[in-house]
Amino acid sequence: MPDDSANAESTPLRYSVKGKRMRFFDAQGVDELVAICMGMAQEMWVIKERQAALESVAAEKGVVLPDDIEGHAFSPDQRAALDAEKQGFIDRIFFTLREEAESLAAEPEEEPPAPSMP
Amino acid sequence: MTDAVDHDLKVKHTKDEASRQNFVAGMRGYVLNDLSGHMKTVWDRKVEPAFEKANGRAPSDGPEIHKTIKSETIFKFYSAMRCNTQEMVWRSVMPAVEREGRDLSRRAQVLSQAGDKAQGTVETNPNFEVPRYVSELDVHMMPGNYHEERIDYDVTQGAVFDNGLAVFSFGLLGDRMEDITDSVSTFYQAHYPDSKPKKILDLGCTLGHSTLPWKARYPDAEVHGVDVGGPCVRYAHARAQSYGVDAHFHQMDAEHTDFEDESFDIVYSCMFLHEVPLKNIKGVFKEAHRLLKPGGVMLHYELPPNTMTSPYDGFYLDWDSYYNKEPFYKAFRDADAKAEIEDAGFEKDSFFEHVAPSRNLYGHDALMEAAQQDGAKNDSRVGRFGDGVMWYFFGARK
Repeated sequence: MPDDSANAESTPLRYSVKGKRMRFFDAQGVDELVAICMGMAQEMWVIKERQAALESVAAEKGVVLPDDIEGHAFSPDQRAALDAEKQGFIDRIFFTLREEAESLAAEPEEEPPAPSMP
Repeated sequence: MTDAVDHDLKVKHTKDEASRQNFVAGMRGYVLNDLSGHMKTVWDRKVEPAFEKANGRAPSDGPEIHKTIKSETIFKFYSAMRCNTQEMVWRSVMPAVEREGRDLSRRAQVLSQAGDKAQGTVETNPNFEVPRYVSELDVHMMPGNYHEERIDYDVTQGAVFDNGLAVFSFGLLGDRMEDITDSVSTFYQAHYPDSKPKKILDLGCTLGHSTLPWKARYPDAEVHGVDVGGPCVRYAHARAQSYGVDAHFHQMDAEHTDFEDESFDIVYSCMFLHEVPLKNIKGVFKEAHRLLKPGGVMLHYELPPNTMTSPYDGFYLDWDSYYNKEPFYKAFRDADAKAEIEDAGFEKDSFFEHVAPSRNLYGHDALMEAAQQDGAKNDSRVGRFGDGVMWYFFGARK
C-alpha cells in the first residue's frame, strides 16, 4: 500500500482484482501460502538490494546517510552482477519446483523399496 | 525496470518500489523460462508417456493436455506463481501512480495542449459507454482496467498500464516498449514496398505504443488511435506529444467508430483482438472493412492460432484464457480467421499471415531477411513471452 495515501495529490487506487480468485491447490490455504511466500521473497529481495546499495555507498564514502541510499544508482556492471545474483536468489528459494524435472531428466534407476510402513 | 517509461509522464518510484519491480520482473523471467521449462520436462518424461500408455495414443489437443497436466504439482505452482507475479506487476507500480495522480493529470493536460513538439489531438466523450466486455472485469488482473476514472482528466490507468507493462515485459519490448509494432510495421513496409499509406488507424491503442511506430515508418501519413479507455487515450496523446510525434487519439469503440467510409489505408491492431469476444471481433472486422479504402489493408498483431501451434504450445498459450482474466482469448485462438474475414466482406484469398522476428532481440538484418519470406512458420517461440519471442500477424486486403 502507498506510504502517503493521505497526500492531497494522491488518487487512491483499488489494489485488489475484482471477481473470482484463481485457485490451484486442493488443500485449503495453500494458494494463500504461495502468495505469502512470494510476498516474503519479494520483501527479502528489497532488503538485499538496499543492503547492496548500503554497502556500495559505505565503500564509496565511508559514511552512510539515508539520502545516500535513496539516491544511489548502481553502475551498469554492478546492476548486471546484482541481476545475476537475483536469478540465483529466486532459484534457491524455489529450488523444490525444479527438483522433479531434474530428477526425471536424470533418468533415475529404480530405487530399492523402503521398509513397509509400520 | 520502469526505465522504458522515459517520457514526460514518468512517475518517481522509491528505491524500495523499484526493488519490488525488479524482483517481479526477475520472477516473471523465472516463471516463464525456468518453471515453464520444468513443466515441459515433467510433461515430456512423465505425464505424456503415462497418458499414451493408458490411452494408446498421444493427447490430441491443448484442452486434453490441460486436463491431464492440471493435477500435477508443477502445473499448480507454475499457475499459482504466474497469477501472483501478474498481480504483483500492477501492485509494484501503483503506489507511485497513486501518489502523483493529480500531478500526472495536470502534466498530461499541459503536454496535450502545448503542442510545442507535436501537433496531435485527443478527444474523449463524457457520455461514452464502455463495452461490457471491458467494464465487467479487470483484464489480465490489472485493477481498474483501461477505463476506470476517479478525477478530472484522469490518466492514472494509462500510467498503471505503462509502468506495469515495463515490469511485465522485463525488457522484451525494447525502447519505448514499441518493439512489436516497430518490428511488424518494419516487416510490413519491407514486404509490401508498394504500400504508401496516407492514413493509418490503430484499434485498441491503449498507450499509443502500437500507434507511433507507424508514423516512424510513414512520416507523411496521418496516424490515429482509438481506445475505449478515456485515461488511455489522454495518456497516449500526452505521451506522443512528449516524444514529439504527431498522432490523433479518440475515445471510441473499435466496432463503431465515427470515421467516414473508405477513409483509411491501413487499419491495424496490436494485442487487441484476444481481449475481445468473438462476436465483437466479427464486428471489428466489418468496421475495418467499412473504413478501408479499396486496396487498403487490415493488419492484426496477435497470438498465433491453435491451428498453427503444437498441442502443447496450444495448451501453454491458452493458459491465460482460463487463469489470467482474459476469457475471450481461447475462442479467438480457436477461430478460423480466414472464414471470419470473408464474413466481414474481405476476399478469402486476400488473407495473409507472417512471423516477424523481434527487431529488439534479433536485430534489423534478421527482420529484413524474414520480410523476404511468405507465410508464417510454426515455431514454439511465436507469441510466447520469454527468451526468443517472435511476433505473429495476419491480415487481409480490401
